[in-house]
Amino acid sequence: MADNNSPPGSVEQKADQIVEANPLVKDDTSLETIVRRFQDSMSEAKTHKFWETQPVGQFKDIGDTSLPEGPIEPATPLSEVKQEPYNLPSVYEWTTCDMNSDDMCSEVYNLLKNNYVEDDENMFRFNYSKEFLRWALRPPGYYQSWHIGVRAKTSKKLVAFISGVPARIRVRDEVVKMAEINFLCVHKKLRSKRLAPVMIKEVTRRVHLENIWQAAYTAGVILPTPITTCQYWHRSLNPKKLIDVGFSRLGARMTMSRTIKLYKLPDAPITPGFRKMEPRDVPAVTRLLRNYLSQFGVATDFDENDVEHWLLPREDVVDSYLVESPETHDVTDFCSFYTLPSTILGNPNYTTLKAAYSYYNVATQTSFLQLMNDALIVSKQKGFDVFNALDVMHNESFLKELKFGPGDGQLHYYLYNYRLKSALKPAELGLVLL
Amino acid sequence: MADWYQLAQSIIFGLIFAYLLAKLISILLAFKDENLSLTRNHTTQSEYENLRKVETLTGISGETDSLIAEQGSLRGDEDESDDDDWEGVESTELDEAFSAATAFVAAAASDRLSQKVSNELQLQLYGLYKIATEGPCTAPQPSALKMTARAKWQAWQKLGAMPPEEAMEKYIDLVTQLYPAWVEGGSKRRNRSGEAAGPMGPVFSSLVYEEESDNELKIDAIHAFAREGEVENLLKCIENGIPVNARDSEGRTPLHWAIDRGHLNVAEALVDKNADVNAKDNEGQTSLHYAVVCEREALAEFLVKQKADTTIKDEDGNSPLDLCESEWSWMREKKDSN
Repeated sequence: MADNNSPPGSVEQKADQIVEANPLVKDDTSLETIVRRFQDSMSEAKTHKFWETQPVGQFKDIGDTSLPEGPIEPATPLSEVKQEPYNLPSVYEWTTCDMNSDDMCSEVYNLLKNNYVEDDENMFRFNYSKEFLRWALRPPGYYQSWHIGVRAKTSKKLVAFISGVPARIRVRDEVVKMAEINFLCVHKKLRSKRLAPVMIKEVTRRVHLENIWQAAYTAGVILPTPITTCQYWHRSLNPKKLIDVGFSRLGARMTMSRTIKLYKLPDAPITPGFRKMEPRDVPAVTRLLRNYLSQFGVATDFDENDVEHWLLPREDVVDSYLVESPETHDVTDFCSFYTLPSTILGNPNYTTLKAAYSYYNVATQTSFLQLMNDALIVSKQKGFDVFNALDVMHNESFLKELKFGPGDGQLHYYLYNYRLKSALKPAELGLVLL
Repeated sequence: MADWYQLAQSIIFGLIFAYLLAKLISILLAFKDENLSLTRNHTTQSEYENLRKVETLTGISGETDSLIAEQGSLRGDEDESDDDDWEGVESTELDEAFSAATAFVAAAASDRLSQKVSNELQLQLYGLYKIATEGPCTAPQPSALKMTARAKWQAWQKLGAMPPEEAMEKYIDLVTQLYPAWVEGGSKRRNRSGEAAGPMGPVFSSLVYEEESDNELKIDAIHAFAREGEVENLLKCIENGIPVNARDSEGRTPLHWAIDRGHLNVAEALVDKNADVNAKDNEGQTSLHYAVVCEREALAEFLVKQKADTTIKDEDGNSPLDLCESEWSWMREKKDSN
C-alpha cells in the first residue's frame, strides 16, 4: 500500500495549502470538503461498508444490552433463498471444487501455496499441504457445493477460492449448526477486482441452501464485530533456524549458544503412559473433550464422528497424543496439534518453516504444563521448528512457563448472523479454526 | 383630524413596511446561512441528531461507548454508493492506519481491553476524529445547557483548521499511548487491512522481539565487532592495544562471539592474532563448545584444526564432544588420536 498514497493525498494537500494561504476564505471550504468527503468514503468506511450490510454484530450496537442474544435475522424459507449464483465479473465463472479429485485438489493447493496469507514483511506464506486441505474440507457431512472456486473463463485457470464446512458450535446453552468459513484466497494479480465480497455472498447463499444460517470465521483484521480477540504465542523448537530465517531475532546481548540451551527439550516424553491416539480411543477422547469444552462460552460440539475425523492422527496433518493411566488404563489426558508449514520466501538456505499449531488439549490427571511439555517434546522429535498456540481455552496457563513468546499476530473470531450480548475473553473460547 | 389620521396612517404603514423589510432581510440571511450549511455539512446535521440521541441514552457522562456509537452511526450515514466498494480501493497508509485505529478503539470499548479512559482524552479523540473525517467544525455551538454536546463541540472546534492528516496522526498517537498493545500489531494491521488476500482467514504471526531487560551483559567494542563480523574494526582494536582475549562480563572472548554468530573470517583473523582457542567463559565453555552447540560445522572444524581441545569440560561436566549431536567424524578422530 506504501506506493498508493500519491494521487488522493496530493489533492488533499493542495486543498490544505489553499486554506492555509487564504485564511480569509477559511469558511469557503466546499472544495476541501468535497475532497475530504470523497476521501472519507474511500478509506474510513470502505472496509466495513460490506459488513454493515451483513447480519453481524455492528460496532454501533456494542454495549446495547437491549438486543437479544441469538440469530440476528431469522431463517427464511428455503424457497426464498436466491437460487442462482451471484454474478461474477464477466471474465470469470464459478466452479465447484471436488477435493476428491487429485487434479482439483492440486489446483486449490497451488492457488493457496502461491497466493494465501503472508506475514506483513512477506517473508513467509502459509503452505497448507494437499492432505491437510482434504482433511480440512471433508469432515463428516461436508458439502461439496461449499468448496467454491472462481476460474478465468478463457484460461480456465483457478483464480480464487473460498470454502465452508459444516460444524456444530455451542454458543452458551445453544448448539447451533454453522458453517466454518475458511481459505478465502484471491490470486495476487486479481486483488482489487472486488472478488472477495461476491465470494463471501456466494458461499453464504450456498450455506443458506442447506438450511444453515450461521457461520464462524476468523480474520487478522478487525471487522464488525469480534466475539473475541486472541493472541498468537510461539515456542521455539529450532531457535537457530527461526533466527536465521527471520521468524525470531537474536538480541545483541544474547548468544546463540545460550538461546539454543534455553529451548532445549528432553529426548522423550516424560509422562508415563503418554502415547499416540488410536482408533480405539475415540470414545474416551470424545468424553474427555466434551466434558472439557462444556465450560467455554463458545465451543465446538464434537461427537465421536467428529473426533474420529478431526483428531485421529494423520501423517503430516494432525497429531494427537493421550495419557493412558498405567494402572487403570483410563485415558486421562489428551493433546493435539496440526501441521501447517509455511514457505520461506527468498532465503537461500531454507525453503520451509515447519510449524505445529496447538489444537485441542485436555488435562485431568497430568498437570497441564507437563502434558503440553510432552507435546513440545514430540513435536520437536517430529522435526517441527516452532510450536504455535492461541491464548484460547486454558492455554494461557502454560504459555509463559513453557517459554512461549508473544507473537505479533492477533486473531479475531467472528460469528455470522449470531449476536452475543458481550464479547468473550479468549479463555472463554473453545474453538480452533484451521 | 384628517391630518392626524393621515399622519397616524403613514406611521403605521411605515412601521409595517419597516417590519416587513427587516423580516425579508432576516429570511434572506437565514436562507443563505442554511444553504451554506446544507451544502457543507448535511452529514454533520444528521450525525448531530444521532449524537443527541446517544446522549439521552447514555446520560451526560460521555462514556467511551457513546463516542463509539457516534463513530458507528457516522459510518452508517455515509452515502451508500456501492455496498461492495471496500476492496481494492486505493488509499494511503495513513488512512489505513487511522481506519484501523478507529476500529480498534471501537472494539476496545467493548471488550476486555477496555480500560477507563479519562473524559479529557475521550474528548481529544473525539475532536481529532471529527477533524480527520469531517474537517473543521462548522456546526453551531450547542446551548450551554447541553454540557456534553458543548464539550464535544469545543473539543472539535478548538482544533480549528488542522489538516486531517495531522489529526489522523495525532489520533493514532493517542490510541498508541492509551493502548500500547495496539502498537505491537500496528505495523501489521496496516498491511493486513489493505492488501491481504481477503478480509478473512488465519494470520501468520511471528515472534515479537523482546529485549532481555534482565541481561546485565557488558561487552567492549571488540566483542561487538566480533559479533557483527566487522574484521577491519576488530583488527584496529587489536592494533590499538586491546587484548585479543579481552573478556566481556560473562567471560567471553571475541573468539566466542565470532563463533557464536558464525563469522569464520573473524575467527581466522583472531586466531591469526594468537587468540586462545581454549579460552573458557564464566560457565567453563570454550569457543568449540559454542561451535558444537550452534552446529557450526565449518567453524568447529577450523577450531579443531587450530588445536582446540574437544574433551575440555565445562561447569556442567560436558566436553564439546559430549555436546556434539552431529555426525562430525573429524571430532571423533581427534579424540581417538588424543
